[in-house]
Amino acid sequence: MLRMEKVSKNLGDFVLKDVSLEVGDGEYLVIIGPTGSGKTILMETVAGIYAPEEGRIFLDGRDITREAPRNRRVCMVYQDYMLFPHLSVEENIAFGLKSRKVSAGEIEVKVAEVSELLGISHLRPRRPGTLSGGEKQRVAIARAIVMEPSVMLLDEPLSSLDGLTRERLRRELKRIHQAYRTTIIHVTHNFEEVFSLADRVAVMNRGEIVQVGTPEEIFRRPKCEMIANFVGVENIFRGFASKSRGMTEIVVDGLKIVAAAEGGGGAEGNDGDRSDEINGWEGREVFASVRPEEILISKVPLKSSARNSFSGRVEEIANGGMMVKVWVDVGIPFMTMLTRLGYEEMDLKVGDPVYLTFKATAVHVF
Amino acid sequence: MVLTRSPPETLLASLSSKEIRFAIGLSLKTSVASTILCLLVAVPAAYSLARYDFPGKNVANTLIDMPLALPPLVAGVGLLLFFGTSLPGRQLADAGLVFVFTPLGIVIAQFFVNVPFMLRVMRSTFEGISPRYEHVAKTLGCTDGQALWRVTLPMASNGLVAGSVITWSKGIGEFGAVLMMAGATRMRTETLPTSLFLNMSCGKLDEAISVATILILISVVCLYVFERRVGGLRL
Repeated sequence: MLRMEKVSKNLGDFVLKDVSLEVGDGEYLVIIGPTGSGKTILMETVAGIYAPEEGRIFLDGRDITREAPRNRRVCMVYQDYMLFPHLSVEENIAFGLKSRKVSAGEIEVKVAEVSELLGISHLRPRRPGTLSGGEKQRVAIARAIVMEPSVMLLDEPLSSLDGLTRERLRRELKRIHQAYRTTIIHVTHNFEEVFSLADRVAVMNRGEIVQVGTPEEIFRRPKCEMIANFVGVENIFRGFASKSRGMTEIVVDGLKIVAAAEGGGGAEGNDGDRSDEINGWEGREVFASVRPEEILISKVPLKSSARNSFSGRVEEIANGGMMVKVWVDVGIPFMTMLTRLGYEEMDLKVGDPVYLTFKATAVHVF
Repeated sequence: MVLTRSPPETLLASLSSKEIRFAIGLSLKTSVASTILCLLVAVPAAYSLARYDFPGKNVANTLIDMPLALPPLVAGVGLLLFFGTSLPGRQLADAGLVFVFTPLGIVIAQFFVNVPFMLRVMRSTFEGISPRYEHVAKTLGCTDGQALWRVTLPMASNGLVAGSVITWSKGIGEFGAVLMMAGATRMRTETLPTSLFLNMSCGKLDEAISVATILILISVVCLYVFERRVGGLRL
């Protein structure tokens, strides 16, 4: 278990103020927060790159506040990979084991094993400069995980990857976490990563941890305006996916939402990532989101080709100038947006029965 | 112009003269020694300037850059005064380290004129390498020294090679500071540029031109290596 007690550090542009945080064994903690909120310095302080000015850090009951990075069993993966360009992929992965004076035979076995796990065995003789972004990040993760660290720190590991590669690697991370049960702290800006990976989320702002909780707590009940604005995502639901007539059906609290069968990354990428065995969301717990502006609101049922149509009641109306936000309870709470003109024409009041309609393609599953 | 002035046979003949061979030998020895000295001083200094913040860093940077703008002749006078007349200079001489009018003086003159160049090349090389490489290396079991040795220095190899080559070639061509510090004694402190000067002033044109040819060849080769290695470095 990792425990930070009132840790403070001032690096001029970046600060940590009185940060206290506990991460359980095998837990996947995601840290989110605006740029410059101190996420990276928090990670680097845990790794031992910077010594905190105040406070203490414990790992598995041992005080590591003043311990050198090499004795901490904490490994770090950066957004921009930081692979050593003068070494081959294989030598990069073996780098840490070599510092630990592990025997050549054992290094070979471990490097082979972790390369296999990450699907990069075929890249072993190559130089990092010749790899794609996704491949580089796999190597960087392999280089860290092969050390079997107590805590693995991932600083925006997926942020510089393209959409498809990012999604693949995200699943890979989940698989690695399940395989090794390593404690992981993962910094991101991407809320999909939060929902698909995090056991818990910590929100940082201006060097402080402002809220810690499950992803749903953070997104549904943000503690302050900053978090609400920062997470800025409405209409997120957790449900169970199943297949139905070529579409994905997600059951959320008894309500069936139909999503277009986007299949979750079944398409082949051309960046050398290996193909994924998972071809859809079926039979798994997933998150679905619908953007408020994709939802049509009406007083009578709409005759349209849209697959999702629910009836409910207006719960709350927030008149915000150009756009009017309307919350509708259809069993689960939806937020929709209307233009001022549309809102005035409809003459909506709290408590009015209304219908919500949106297309299956408007449902985003992750 | 210089290259076509004399036929190749004459050049080869003067190249094999005892005097020119001495000059080549002395130039090689002193320039290699001063380059090594530059490396030993500039690499740690440049690394500290690139990685750490400390009080007086700006002043240090300016002091280091100053000799770049100083005419080598003036630098030579300064060195001569320091080693010839100051107390520390005389103490060094008493201890057996005589710099004035000796080959040792040549090395020191080359070193002082060239170390700012080496420093600049190395500083921008180190600045171009993200400290995060070292951070990662440290979490992978390296001490600070091992991280430098196993990661940063290999990554800086282009800068190291380029800096050494430029320093070496400038060292071989250094004249003003060397003249002041070591004088121009035939067969004693006669480096290639000094030899060019001596031969030219007493009218031995063939010898002078063969020396010039060697210097031209050295600079062309060095420039080529330098450009290959640090095309993109900001200096």
